[in-house]
Amino acid sequence: MKTARRIPLLKKMLSQFGIEEDRVRLDWVSASEGDRFATIINQMTEQIRQLGPFSSNGGGEHG
Amino acid sequence: MAKPKMALYWAAACGGCDVDVLDTNEKILDIANLVDIVFWPIALDFKYHHVEAMEDKGIDLCLFNGAIRSTEQAEIAKLLRNKSKVMVAFGACACFGGIPALANFTDREEIFERVYHEAPSNNNEKGTVPLLKTSVPEGELELPELFDTVLTLPQVVDVEYFVPGCPPPVDLILKLVDLYARGQLPPVGSVIASDKTCCDECDRVKEEKKISRFYRPHEIITDPKKCLLEQGIICCGPATRGGCGMRCVKANMPCRGCFGPPPGVVDQGAKLVSALASIYQGNTDGDVKRMLEEVVDPAGTFYRFGMADSMLKRKRLQKSRGSVRNAKD
Repeated sequence: MKTARRIPLLKKMLSQFGIEEDRVRLDWVSASEGDRFATIINQMTEQIRQLGPFSSNGGGEHG
Repeated sequence: MAKPKMALYWAAACGGCDVDVLDTNEKILDIANLVDIVFWPIALDFKYHHVEAMEDKGIDLCLFNGAIRSTEQAEIAKLLRNKSKVMVAFGACACFGGIPALANFTDREEIFERVYHEAPSNNNEKGTVPLLKTSVPEGELELPELFDTVLTLPQVVDVEYFVPGCPPPVDLILKLVDLYARGQLPPVGSVIASDKTCCDECDRVKEEKKISRFYRPHEIITDPKKCLLEQGIICCGPATRGGCGMRCVKANMPCRGCFGPPPGVVDQGAKLVSALASIYQGNTDGDVKRMLEEVVDPAGTFYRFGMADSMLKRKRLQKSRGSVRNAKD
């Protein structure tokens, strides 16, 4: 249950850093839900791919 | 034998670290007996060209306070590094960016917009802003350039020791000078402070770390004997290095993190998110929402002194804006 409180606080903080909310996702998957696990990971991968590589200076020079 | 030579410099800082050295009171005389001060802009009239004229490594000990946010500061940091045998990042700004590094939530363009155009106290009808070069009849004038990103001293030059704090407590200054005078300086890279956290050194009564509500300091009258965190005040003690003498907590103010992360902690703010969210009581969506509202400014609170030293270092710059200066180039 600590994670359920930590992640929203982390997300609020990351938004202050200008980091897209979609880069962090919290979900709950049981060990018996293999398909669901694969679906979530695929969704997340696709989501991140669309956002592109992260750079703290927005992709400019001298990261 | 000639006395060792000491230099002190201030970069992006408030001047408090320099005043702090004077706060050693009569002990300043001991320091003056131990060393010759060859450069100290706040107190002595030496110029940059005096430092340039010194031989390399001619200064024995340099206490450098302040973060690096302009070409001038980076230049002097490199100059003093070349001239100094032992370089000390002195104070929270030099060590971690300090308060000036909160500017990393914005950038140069936004800062200029605010300071020279928007600020209500301004009277700048012509919209004058500082230019790097200005031509006047007498010739061309040049100003240092402000960086988009405030940097720590070790991000710009190599540093031997760290003395954290805003400002560093007098006993740590005396300890540093004493260790230096006796030739007993610790291994390079050491932080002259405690290896414990503030919480470890705090003598307030700690019972159970459970919080049902976060209060801002003006919203509650706290019990001066009990742990501030347990009373719902956000205190950075769990993720802050000790050695400060608990000056804030003794004055009934929560720790704000000026000694930086303790050994083993990479990112002070992330550690605080983890620590504080863990002890908050309540698991429903409503509880979590309430917690988020109560922690009004997590980034500014948890990285108050450590923004430049954090993993993210700054708020993400937009592509359209200028690139981040890399002062090591």
